[in-house]
Amino acid sequence: MSESIGAGYDVHRPEDRELMLEAIGLASIDELFAKIPRDLRLQRLMDLPPPLSEWELDRHVRALASANATTLTHLSLLGGGAYDHHVPAVVSDIASRGEFLTSYTPYQPEMSQGMLRVLHDFQLLLGRLLGLPRANSSVYDGATALAEAAWMACSIRQVPRIAVAETIWPEWRAVLDTYMDGRGVTIHPVAADPDSGLVAPESLERTLARTPMAALVVQTPNMFGVVESIRPLAAICKAHGALTNVSCYPMLLGLVQSPGEQGADIATCEAQSLGLWLNAGGPYLGVIATRDEYELFLPGRIVGECDDLKGEPALALVKEQREQHVSRDKATSHICSNQALMALRAVVYLSTVGEGGFRRLSRLNAQKAHYLCDRLCSLPGVALAKSGRFFNEFLLSLPGDAASVLRSLRDERIFGGIDFAGLDPRYRHHLLVAVTETRSKGELDRIVAAFARALSAAPRVDAGGDRA
Amino acid sequence: MKTASVLDRSRQGFGGAAVFDPEFPDVAGTEWFPADEVRTAPIGLPELSELEVVRHFTGLSHGVHGVDSGPYPLGSCTMKYNPKRNDALARLDGFARAHPRQPADTLQGLWDLSLDLQRFIAELTGMDAVSLQPAAGAHGELAGLLIMRKYFAERGEPRRIILIPDSAHGTNPASAAMVGYECKIIPTTPDGLMDLAAMDRLLDRNVAGLMLTNPSTLGLFEENITRIGQRVHDQGALLYYDGANLNALMGIVRPGDMGFDLVHINVHKTLSTPHGGGGPGAGPVGVKAFLEPYLPVPVIRRVAGRAVPDHDRPSTIGKIKTHFGHTEVLVKAYCYVLTVGALGLKTATENAVLNANYLQAKLADLLPPVFHERCMHECLLSGGTLKVSPFDFVKRLIDFGVHPPTLVGAGCVHFAKQYEAAMLIEPTETESLPSLDSMIEKFRKVAREAAVAPYMIETAPHTTAVAKIIKDQAAYISLLEATTP
Ligand SMILES: Cc1ncc(COP(=O)(O)O)c(C=O)c1O
Repeated sequence: MSESIGAGYDVHRPEDRELMLEAIGLASIDELFAKIPRDLRLQRLMDLPPPLSEWELDRHVRALASANATTLTHLSLLGGGAYDHHVPAVVSDIASRGEFLTSYTPYQPEMSQGMLRVLHDFQLLLGRLLGLPRANSSVYDGATALAEAAWMACSIRQVPRIAVAETIWPEWRAVLDTYMDGRGVTIHPVAADPDSGLVAPESLERTLARTPMAALVVQTPNMFGVVESIRPLAAICKAHGALTNVSCYPMLLGLVQSPGEQGADIATCEAQSLGLWLNAGGPYLGVIATRDEYELFLPGRIVGECDDLKGEPALALVKEQREQHVSRDKATSHICSNQALMALRAVVYLSTVGEGGFRRLSRLNAQKAHYLCDRLCSLPGVALAKSGRFFNEFLLSLPGDAASVLRSLRDERIFGGIDFAGLDPRYRHHLLVAVTETRSKGELDRIVAAFARALSAAPRVDAGGDRA
Repeated sequence: MKTASVLDRSRQGFGGAAVFDPEFPDVAGTEWFPADEVRTAPIGLPELSELEVVRHFTGLSHGVHGVDSGPYPLGSCTMKYNPKRNDALARLDGFARAHPRQPADTLQGLWDLSLDLQRFIAELTGMDAVSLQPAAGAHGELAGLLIMRKYFAERGEPRRIILIPDSAHGTNPASAAMVGYECKIIPTTPDGLMDLAAMDRLLDRNVAGLMLTNPSTLGLFEENITRIGQRVHDQGALLYYDGANLNALMGIVRPGDMGFDLVHINVHKTLSTPHGGGGPGAGPVGVKAFLEPYLPVPVIRRVAGRAVPDHDRPSTIGKIKTHFGHTEVLVKAYCYVLTVGALGLKTATENAVLNANYLQAKLADLLPPVFHERCMHECLLSGGTLKVSPFDFVKRLIDFGVHPPTLVGAGCVHFAKQYEAAMLIEPTETESLPSLDSMIEKFRKVAREAAVAPYMIETAPHTTAVAKIIKDQAAYISLLEATTP
């Protein structure tokens, strides 16, 4: 390898190149590209920065990284679909093993049994968590899982209409809109009770009675942090022949009955909380689980059991007739590359924390969030905005302007939550606050004191208020 | 021997990791939820000690072949070296521990990096604007097709058809269907190129676009690209570039200069990010200036000298996933471009094409090229003259530490029926000459063995945890027939 600028990961010596060209019967590298019309070719080097040595790269990228604040530099109460849970060191260690990290989709099962086993366990464990036996081995994220599952329901029922709770996290709803639009599926809103924040059964009943729907799509906890009771909703859906399609936060499921136990037909989740770093938004981990009878409507890879030539049990990608490489435009989805390594993280995570640890983590999240909520609600003018039960994220109404409270908190290196006005302009002084197991009591107390200071500094809204 | 499930190692009652916080003594779930909603039945999660967990997964990794383990000439998948420095830098707290809902001005490093990477990819592809959001190649296709549809919708042209060559990857027609397009398929000529006359017959003002992979998944450069572009554009339609094979062209010719209006690239192929046993990848989408208004939100732009995310874009196709894209993956791609620079990318391409042609030349007597010409970054060789089936042949390579190339039903590309016995071999740009020679020798050894001891091959592999797995090839091929026009 020459020391020329831009050698990068070059692997050939000049004499290697000559030898190879000779074997091919060519005189120059340029001849390899003879089929490419000359007039189309780039006549200059691409305009890119000069290559960096490893130490220069290290310094440069570290500088970029440190230009970001993080949940380490600030005390964070941010949630909204992505949560600052602890990631055991074991998870990252296993996930960086080169065999897992640098392999492709397990197209050759004989040399991928280890990865296939991990993915099969992922399907099993997520199926157990969600309470539905058939899970796929991941899609891009929680929002695309919700959208793909909505299409699944339309295909199962052969009805291009879905009832959608208006309390789905808005960004997820936007993804759903994008995905459904192309498929020609119409979305029919189901309202929530303004006080509890829960989906209103009457509204669901009305929507389903008007026209047949493929499914109700509902999220728990919803955008207000309110945990839905799925059972009564599933009963209404069943009576109208619609499927119940639930998107949920897996951390809740160590505490509350699974969607499957509560009667859901399809469940999806964003599994970022199962051993994935926040990663400034991705990669995350979507998964879909369903009943046995709907398995062939699942998008994406499924790992299943098969026999090898000797009749011994083995694993392989199965039921591929659903997929794009076989059925092309008739496939259940276009997904090809998925989030396999993230699924591996989730399996290692669940194995590490275990049954007992996972359940305790769920309770700890609820416990800490309720502790903070109680303390904050004891501050003058602060109240829970919705009466429905919450898990680890809750909506507060404040006596002052949420944006200015957040600004004051930030001066104390606290990310105090999400200004709800950005999601729904009717909520002008509301803050969505999330707490995970990683916040200590001391930190929570410090946060309460900082809130008290921030509130006294914030411009007050008039008493008549504009409570939505 | 069958691998164990982590559940096989679980000892019920062990519990799992100690999770505690002495300041919050444990309470029952009924503290917050009614008894009939609290989860009481066991979930069935594993219960192991941490050491047992580590040994279990370490054991499983031993049966997995990665680029780190040996050659991986899986055609169209570009299984080249995934530089370790990129992994290390993507793990930095400043990326890994940043929350996507932080105030935008606390993520300046992310926006600066994204803006630069967008520019690098625009330069690499000859496009004017890039979004880094798509999660993978197929997701980039979805974004691109949505952009196409929105563009025509705004012009009041209800075009409904997408043209796709029969050699296209399955994601192309599947993505088109998700956007509500009808697919019409263009056959391949005997010399491996798209059939122009067939294209002409299908092309009219109902066609929204043509999706093309160039070089194609048959390893050939589509020489007629200028004419194809002209005819597509003459009908007011758009030309879409599937960038899965862009590692054949870096710094040589750019999709934008070939007449393409939109592209996606697979950073987990072209820009060296590891594929993680199936993902995550990233599939940035690039467009010419007239399509920029339609990009998914947010778009990272420079405003008053600062990179910022812009959500306020009236013509956008909307959101295609949560947040901004696969940050961790994109950091790796960024590091790769900064490490190799313009010349390094061009060298990578030259090596990719050189390696594939070398392999093709050295194997031609045993596995003749399907198209009697030079290939690009991958070669399509015929296993038709072997004494064993190509399927059996490649399984024997496993015993010698080489990952099989792409075959019908075993890999990520789609072969029309006539190439049933073909194998698509992409040695990639990071295999050295000694490594190529050793790989070639292994192919030859298996071919020699086929003549004298076919049984050894038919029952291969012999060194893996499980014996040969025969997925239902017959069923697969009949399905393929049903779906091939
Ligand atoms: C030609 C081609 N197009 C599209 C894709 C899909 O890309 P991804 O798997 O990233 O979704 C692939 C990858 O398998 C491919 O080879």
